[in-house]
Amino acid sequence: MTRFLNSQTLILIGCSLFVVYLAGIPLVMLLYGSIRSAPIGEPGAAYTIQNYVKAYFDREFYLLFWNSLKFALGSCAISFLIGTYLAWINERTNTPFKKLFMVMSLIPFIIPGILSTIAWILLLSPKIGLINLVVMGVFGLESAPFSIYSMGGMVWAEAIHLYPLVFLLMAAAFRNMDTSLEEAALTAGSSTFTTFRRVTLPLMRPAMFSVLLIMFIRSIESFEVPALVGVPARISVFTTKIFLAIHQFPSDFGLAGAYAVTLLAISTAGVLFYQKITRREERYATVTGKGYRPRVIDLGPWKYVTCASAFFIFLLAVIFPVFILIWSSFIPYYGVPSMELLERVTLANYHYILNYPLAITAFKNSFILSVGSATLVMLLTSVIAWITVKSKVPGRAFLDNMTFIPIAMPGIVLGVSLIWVYLTLPIPIYGTMWVLLLAYLTKFMPYGIRAASASMIQINRELEEASFASGGTWLQTFTKVILPLLMPGFVAGWIYISIIALRELSTSILLYSYSSTVLSIMAFDLWEGGQYTYVCALGVLMVLLLVAMAFVARKFGAKIGIAE
Amino acid sequence: MAEKRFMVQIQNLEKFFGEDRERVHVLKGVSLDIPEGSLYTFLGPSGCGKTTTLRCVAGLERPDGGKISIDGKAVFSAGERVYIPTNKRPIGMVFQSYAIWPHMTVSENVAYPLTIQHRPKAEIKKRVGDVLKIVGLQGLEDRPAPKLSGGQQQRVAFARALINEPKVMLLDEPLSNLDAKLREQMRFEIKALQRRVNITTIYVTHDQGEALAISDQIAVMHGGKLIEIGTPHQLYSRPKRKFTATFLGLTNLIEGKVTELGGDSKSGRMESSKGTLSFIPAPSLAKGQPVVMSIRPEHIEVIKQRPQVSENVLEGTIKEAIFMGDAYHCQIAVGDQLLRVHTHPFLSMNIGEKVYLHLDPQSCNGLPAEDTEGVDESMMGL
Repeated sequence: MTRFLNSQTLILIGCSLFVVYLAGIPLVMLLYGSIRSAPIGEPGAAYTIQNYVKAYFDREFYLLFWNSLKFALGSCAISFLIGTYLAWINERTNTPFKKLFMVMSLIPFIIPGILSTIAWILLLSPKIGLINLVVMGVFGLESAPFSIYSMGGMVWAEAIHLYPLVFLLMAAAFRNMDTSLEEAALTAGSSTFTTFRRVTLPLMRPAMFSVLLIMFIRSIESFEVPALVGVPARISVFTTKIFLAIHQFPSDFGLAGAYAVTLLAISTAGVLFYQKITRREERYATVTGKGYRPRVIDLGPWKYVTCASAFFIFLLAVIFPVFILIWSSFIPYYGVPSMELLERVTLANYHYILNYPLAITAFKNSFILSVGSATLVMLLTSVIAWITVKSKVPGRAFLDNMTFIPIAMPGIVLGVSLIWVYLTLPIPIYGTMWVLLLAYLTKFMPYGIRAASASMIQINRELEEASFASGGTWLQTFTKVILPLLMPGFVAGWIYISIIALRELSTSILLYSYSSTVLSIMAFDLWEGGQYTYVCALGVLMVLLLVAMAFVARKFGAKIGIAE
Repeated sequence: MAEKRFMVQIQNLEKFFGEDRERVHVLKGVSLDIPEGSLYTFLGPSGCGKTTTLRCVAGLERPDGGKISIDGKAVFSAGERVYIPTNKRPIGMVFQSYAIWPHMTVSENVAYPLTIQHRPKAEIKKRVGDVLKIVGLQGLEDRPAPKLSGGQQQRVAFARALINEPKVMLLDEPLSNLDAKLREQMRFEIKALQRRVNITTIYVTHDQGEALAISDQIAVMHGGKLIEIGTPHQLYSRPKRKFTATFLGLTNLIEGKVTELGGDSKSGRMESSKGTLSFIPAPSLAKGQPVVMSIRPEHIEVIKQRPQVSENVLEGTIKEAIFMGDAYHCQIAVGDQLLRVHTHPFLSMNIGEKVYLHLDPQSCNGLPAEDTEGVDESMMGL
């Protein structure tokens, strides 16, 4: 009989248990917490349904529900229209400057949500908004034509933040479509328009629907725009309501829990629906992995119209926000661009940030958490992906599902759950970096497992068997053969996770303490304190750090993995 | 010759795939002994269990029953609950896809079995050089693996399998990914290489031509069972089972019933729709039993005039004759049956012509008409 407790078994069992702990415990504790009258340990805590009664029998609840829905559906629709339009121009038309559009579409991807929200407030605020002031000046208006502090303003700010993801997903869908299906329709005598309506659209429908669902989930979970814009505008959605229930004095953990369970139910329904759709999508077999050369439509003179419209979108979505952020970071006090202010351009904001002790802590913490969580998530999910893809261990489907569960957990809900977990369990990490790290691991596990599984499937089974046949142990095989071959997916996942970890706000805001402050929290606090110019300087530095990290990761990955 | 020593011994190997209702019985009591230093081939159609048997020897599959020993030491035994994992078995393996790691150079690939044992650098370097010389790849040490041709990748795979001086070399359809011309050439090289290093080798293939060309012994498998074991020559010219006769090369089958068996079982007669025919009977044949007689197309002699002898002579009509350069491949109708016949290219073959066919009794094999299950004892231990 072989030794039972060898390193392989220990690693595999250890990683599996860790995943179950990360994904399962918060869920259990959230449900538990929502039916308790007070936090564990406090006298008089008992089981109760009072939290739900309080939540659901509040007249405000239905307003809240309606607002959340309006906000999510609106952002979802607008981001979908913009993203799909740009993706179509890019993949299927002969519009000039296509390459440039590709880059422009991706720039907002790297700007943290809190910064793009701030940028839009600086552009569209009725009092100080640059666009408002310019339009008022040009047309001689008495009052501001736009207001960010409205449902429309919130939807706009969120949609602009979300559309790059739509662009990426839809561009992939357009690219992977087998154009011979369209060509077959053309040869059968149907016109370009009929072909689009009868063939292209039905084939794209599953992809479009799944993108819409992702956007809906993303926007119903969104925290930045509702917190920065919605709270001053007195427009509440689920995420801000949960945040306020905890940030009021005294905190109402039970009520936050009840709202969190409701939000969780909505996003879980979305995710389940999404999985059902994408499973059916596979039957449509439009994506076969073959390198199709997409049929490019000659737009004739219309190509100048599409080109102009794309430039207009980029002007709004990229150039204005980036400009206002950079501009505000170099001026001594916030003001509309003018010759007078231009003469007073200064590095004082950067000087202030770089000499502000808390900022140094925040930079350090964010960097450690971002690199640490990205690395740990990718290592953990690589092992999990090996189990779910390569091994025949019973229960591997369950493990795959557990790793994916946190995708349905909005950041603020995860925050509430983890408060319950670490106030209850005798693990003294509440208020430290460790609780943030565990939160990030949980939150980013689903992205890691996707990247790792997709790469793991590509690795021919015989490549690892050859290592066993050469006398390699499981650990040697994993580190010397599997991990290097996994490198392209590992690096892609790492870059993505380190970027979203560095700008994480909605979970951290419920779990941080003074010593574990991170950059996004600091930006939030500076903004709340009205120090706009400092926020912008901090934001520019954050973006520079993000770009540098992505660049280094790519270099490093190319060196140790296989060159693409 | 000294007493034959067996390097690999397989006893009553059982293996199932899948679970519950979808459970498939893929190995049904396979037993065989592989002599030291021989090139032993598992041959059979896809799904016959040949690759599964090889993977069980490698430890990449865990059998559900039976026993496997390498060099006298059990590496798997269901009864004694022994299972040695792949990396602890004294084997080297060449995979169908070669499984050359694309993130390593040639020498890193080849050195892998030694580097993971933390051998001294100098020793590794020397042995990599030696083994690359054996496979004819000296000078390519630093070439990245993805920059190799199919044939070179295969040599790297061989070098990697050989470097740790395994007791058994396992080859899983190693030629199936090469183009036809290279495949032909590599057959000779594998055979020569195996002779040179004199290593016990198990070779899995579905290609009967390949099996005949390189093997010392062939185990023919079908439906998870061993059908017959023998040298290429024995299996081709004197098969004992209908499956062997049809799977290896082309053959003609004539059905009938055994009417006579010689006392020494070296001769027999059968009654068929084509008259009385003489043959060499398989050991398991009995009088009165249904029989199929197998004769290869190249063993049928075509005669234009009625021959002197009358034994095993049939009358037929040429239906089709295709000129192949080195032979005519003909279809000749005898009664209601079309016989395939290969004739000398100088003999003119006219379609519609009436000819006489002489079936040399020495080349006619009388085989049991129904392929009974498993290998009977009389065929073992050849």
